[in-house]
Amino acid sequence: MTWKSFFDTSTMAHRHLLAAYAVVLIVQGGYFGWIAWNWFRTKSGRY
Amino acid sequence: MEQRPPTLRSVAWLCLAIAVAVLVVGFRQAIFLTPTDAAQGDVGRIFYYHVPIAMLSLLFPYLNCAGSLAYLFWRSRDPLKALTADAFALASAEVAVVYSSICLITGMIWGRVAWNIWWTWDARLTSMLLLWLLYVSYLMLRKFSATGQSQTLAAVLGIFAAVDVPIVYMSIRWWRTQHPAPVFGGGANSGMDKSMLPAFFWNLAGWAIWGVLIFLFRFALERRRQLAQQEAALRAIEASLEIPQ
Amino acid sequence: MNYLRHIFDHLHKDLRLEWRSRDSINGMLFFALLVVVIFGLAFDPTSYPTTTRQIAGGILWVALLFASITALNQSWTRELRNQVLEAQRMAPSPASALFLGKVISNMLFVLVVEIVLGPIFIVFFNLHVLGNIWLLILILPLGTWALVVNGTFFAALGLRARNRELLLPLLLLPISLPALLAMVQATTGVLTAELDPIQINTWIKQLAGYDIIFTTICVLLFETVLNAE
Repeated sequence: MTWKSFFDTSTMAHRHLLAAYAVVLIVQGGYFGWIAWNWFRTKSGRY
Repeated sequence: MEQRPPTLRSVAWLCLAIAVAVLVVGFRQAIFLTPTDAAQGDVGRIFYYHVPIAMLSLLFPYLNCAGSLAYLFWRSRDPLKALTADAFALASAEVAVVYSSICLITGMIWGRVAWNIWWTWDARLTSMLLLWLLYVSYLMLRKFSATGQSQTLAAVLGIFAAVDVPIVYMSIRWWRTQHPAPVFGGGANSGMDKSMLPAFFWNLAGWAIWGVLIFLFRFALERRRQLAQQEAALRAIEASLEIPQ
Repeated sequence: MNYLRHIFDHLHKDLRLEWRSRDSINGMLFFALLVVVIFGLAFDPTSYPTTTRQIAGGILWVALLFASITALNQSWTRELRNQVLEAQRMAPSPASALFLGKVISNMLFVLVVEIVLGPIFIVFFNLHVLGNIWLLILILPLGTWALVVNGTFFAALGLRARNRELLLPLLLLPISLPALLAMVQATTGVLTAELDPIQINTWIKQLAGYDIIFTTICVLLFETVLNAE
């Protein structure tokens, strides 16, 4: 497979493959981002 | 608490870099290097993300169980250790939910294109769904219960859930062998061709390192919150005593 | 216009309170999802598609009914705290404005749950709708309104009762039976395409008539219930 065929959205199979990988990256990245955002929002322990 | 040692920070950043690097290698293996599956076509590459994440999602419930047991053990003996155990349990429950959600969603996407159905009530899917429901209910209990109680109640629920997971697995499997129904994937691990192994193991390693990393990050965040809360409570008490500090 | 202004103010307050914690909606969503899963385990939908289509309508409405009962009680308990209810009684605005504001806000929450639940339902039960799916867009809000308007009224009625949480389903279910019959029959008719359009239209008209009658009665009697001591 190549980059070009990975992002090719012509067939349902390709769309679903792209969607699955996108979901994984979005959910994991989103969770990481949420933790990071909250990290900077909470004041640290004692300094 | 002293200033967080700078070495810990650097180690954390290093681990993040390693995790991302391994995942990038895994991605490259899965998409570009592994030959296309004869039966499934390119869509079979979802396997390399779906299966490692599904396997890892079975790890975190046990971490939650350990944390919950530790919390209940230390609750009256050493409250500070108990607080740490509680943060451990909460972080592992959240990561368990994240990983099992991904497993369910990617499974549905894959099933739709490979077998033309979004869902079926076979043994594996139903067990994974029930695992997801158990840990979502754990997080809801945390959110809805009154403060002060929520840690103890959640720890108890965590133990229930962990005991329930193998029971759910066995009972659903027994139910489904009684009345056979369509099965997704037909034993995905049973016939892995040698050409699939590199992509599979790179992704398994990558998501495992990532999983441990975000678990520790979430744990650190929870500890930070707990310490901030303690600090605020201490300041409030000191202020009420009106003794100059 | 003043009356509408009051209704809008009450609605705005309820929406804002709910937005802050989102307890009700999360609770309802999870509960409805659990009911769907339980029925999925009980009836094995993928092996018997015809049967599944015939009972899916009933299951959907049972799930929504029990999900909304869990939220309805809670919508009034927030008025009990800080003696807000006494303040409401003393306010010069008509009590029915408070009632309608609450009904509309509860209606919106249950509609959100329905919008999320619909696709989940179709996925988990492998439903293929045989009839005209656009009719469902008419049936679902009408049926939801029937449940919510009576539910909000009876939740307020039982507010001072001893076993408040138990009382709501005991009162709501018998009164709602004609509406439940109509909404389940109409939904099943659309899903299975076994009823012809005239019959489905009759059920929809009955549902609409039920809605109008009971909304009127609730609006007229709410003041009495609010001030009953």
